[in-house]
Amino acid sequence: MSEQPVIQIRNLRKTFTMGKQKVHALAGVDLDIAPGSLTVIMGPSGSGKSTLLYLLGGLDRPTSGTIQVNGRYLDQMDENDLGLFRRKSVGFIFQSFNLIPSMTAMQNVIFPMRFTGVSNKERQKQAARMLSQVGLAKRALHRPTELSGGQQQRVAVARALVNNPPIILADEPTGNLDTTSGFGIMKLLSKLNLEGRTVIVVTHDMRMCQFASNIIYLLDGLTVSEAEYEAASHFEIPEEEPEEV
Amino acid sequence: MRFWDLVSLISENLRRRKGRVFLTAVGVVIGTAAVVLLVSLATGLQKSATSNLWGITDLSRIDVYPNYGEGMYMEAVPMGGGGGGGTTSNVKLLTPTVLDEIAAIPGVKFVIPRDYMYGQGMIQFGKFETWAGLMGVKTDNLENLGYELDRGSMELRKGTIVAGSWVVQNFYVPNLRPGQEMPELPDILDQRVKLKLTKWTTDGQEVSRTVELKVVGVLREMRNEADGSFFVSMEELEAWNTWFNNGQRINRNKNGYNDVIVRAESPEVVMDVTQQINDMGYMAYSPQSTVEGINSFFVILQVVFGGIGAIALLVAAIGIANTMTMAILERTREIGLMKAVGATNRDVLTIFLGEAAGIGFLGGLGGALLGWVGGYALNVVSMQFLASQAQQQGYMSTGLTADTPLWLLLFAILFATLVGFLSGLYPALRAATLEPVTALKYE
Ligand SMILES: Nc1ncnc2c1ncn2[C@@H]1O[C@H](COP(=O)(O)OP(=O)(O)O)[C@@H](O)[C@H]1O
Ligand SMILES: [Mg+2]
Repeated sequence: MSEQPVIQIRNLRKTFTMGKQKVHALAGVDLDIAPGSLTVIMGPSGSGKSTLLYLLGGLDRPTSGTIQVNGRYLDQMDENDLGLFRRKSVGFIFQSFNLIPSMTAMQNVIFPMRFTGVSNKERQKQAARMLSQVGLAKRALHRPTELSGGQQQRVAVARALVNNPPIILADEPTGNLDTTSGFGIMKLLSKLNLEGRTVIVVTHDMRMCQFASNIIYLLDGLTVSEAEYEAASHFEIPEEEPEEV
Repeated sequence: MRFWDLVSLISENLRRRKGRVFLTAVGVVIGTAAVVLLVSLATGLQKSATSNLWGITDLSRIDVYPNYGEGMYMEAVPMGGGGGGGTTSNVKLLTPTVLDEIAAIPGVKFVIPRDYMYGQGMIQFGKFETWAGLMGVKTDNLENLGYELDRGSMELRKGTIVAGSWVVQNFYVPNLRPGQEMPELPDILDQRVKLKLTKWTTDGQEVSRTVELKVVGVLREMRNEADGSFFVSMEELEAWNTWFNNGQRINRNKNGYNDVIVRAESPEVVMDVTQQINDMGYMAYSPQSTVEGINSFFVILQVVFGGIGAIALLVAAIGIANTMTMAILERTREIGLMKAVGATNRDVLTIFLGEAAGIGFLGGLGGALLGWVGGYALNVVSMQFLASQAQQQGYMSTGLTADTPLWLLLFAILFATLVGFLSGLYPALRAATLEPVTALKYE
């Protein structure tokens, strides 16, 4: 039985106007994402990956086209509904972590719950659970500056999970990390996916592909096949010549 | 967002930037303190002015006088073309009929004519004596005039007299030998005194007559005209005045009374009754109108002083707006994050408005305290100054004092909070409507 996609995107366009110049960040994207899948979005810098991810998460509005998440059209929601959608349905993970420096790991994880009606006790419990799930139970009272990059990103993952959203959106989550801790985050995302969440990851890192259930290639605001993508990469990014010493 | 989550988030955010919040709040403190201190001064001035008012203790009272002026003027200028009405005088006299009319005005409780003695009298008590400022009142009880009793009774009958509070102290012993101490006056209450009336015949002969009276009461000090008078019944006074007039009795139906006290049932109706009596053509004057005039002057003074303080608050408001705008620039990414984790535009608006109002509230709290303490300090200093002056002058005068009512403190805190809130309006709106993506990308 074919599952109904959790996310359905049709002819999605996003155009930025910079003075008189128009940038077509997304130029008509069609995309279906199955529930419980781990989707990796690949593409060169400026191809529109972040733009796509933000539109999916209701952080931005499309110029045209439709985004359907769980049967609801994001493009038709008002600001308030979008806020509630982000609160309940998606968890964001950013390249630069976006932790609040004055708050401890615990407080950062609790932060999203402060906008919901969850009781104080429940917040503490839930945040502690999330921190131990990302392996940081012992770092709960540390501030971001007292944590390594990998640990900070784990805190961000715990924060994304704390309202228990069915969809996790990660924008180059390993971009600021060394290889080892980056791989740790990838495994963590895979684990979340195996627990049943729909995970969408924007990344350059090919290692992520081994966890992916499908890979989407973006070029100049359009989805392309792997073959087209490969071909383009070969033309546009010539192999670097080894430096002579 | 729940209220307490909001409050805790706001207070955390304020604590995070203690230094700047403090500096911004100092502006509000100064403005609020200025408002509190200046309005306290105006209130203090009002209080001392009102307490210095000559005998305005009885707000139910209306003084009514006959109206001569206009009528006499009209008669002196004959109208060309002639009014057919055969100009009867416009003089409005307070005859017994008129007094009945005034008594019939709703809200009037008593109409009591008074009169003075038309000649000289001396009151003698043992070897003491004093010049008698004697007043006759047409009532059997001085209580009806709103007077207050110190001791004895206020009932006036034939042969009784009631003393004002000060006249008791005016008794002296004549022909004291030099160096001889003035003996102390024994209590005059329930004692008999002699009233010696003196007049001169046309050929310069001194004629006198003595009446014996019993002092039945002494009034309390009311700081009005009653303090310096003795009171007797109108009948008795008229008998003596007839004697002064060589047997001619005043015809009240023709000449009216010169001085009538009207007392209203309550202070609330006084202004209305006064108006009605004035409309009838008589001269009615109520102390209450003076009080109201003074009060409205001080209300204006309070508003002007408060306004001067409010200008200082306006400067503080600019400071708050500035601080909030800075905060929003610095926390742009945080605002983006708040939105990413599910804060609605309204949540963001409320948080930043709350922070701005919070700065206003803290400043208002500090300012109210400072203004109150400042007023207190001013009073202490001014009391010391007055006390040193009193040693030189022998009496204490009321001087510059601040009076800080509780409502002023509460109002000042509320007002400062409102100022903060309003200054935060524009920055908070900008924060709330930030595009989340732009905010998250902001460096
Ligand atoms: N807010 C914006 N204003 C103008 N142009 C933008 C804006 N955001 C993205 N773009 C442009 O849209 C294109 C896609 O950007 P983005 O989605 O960030 O690419 P990626 O994440 O794949 O590197 C780029 O050319 C970028 O310059
Ligand atoms: Mg990007």
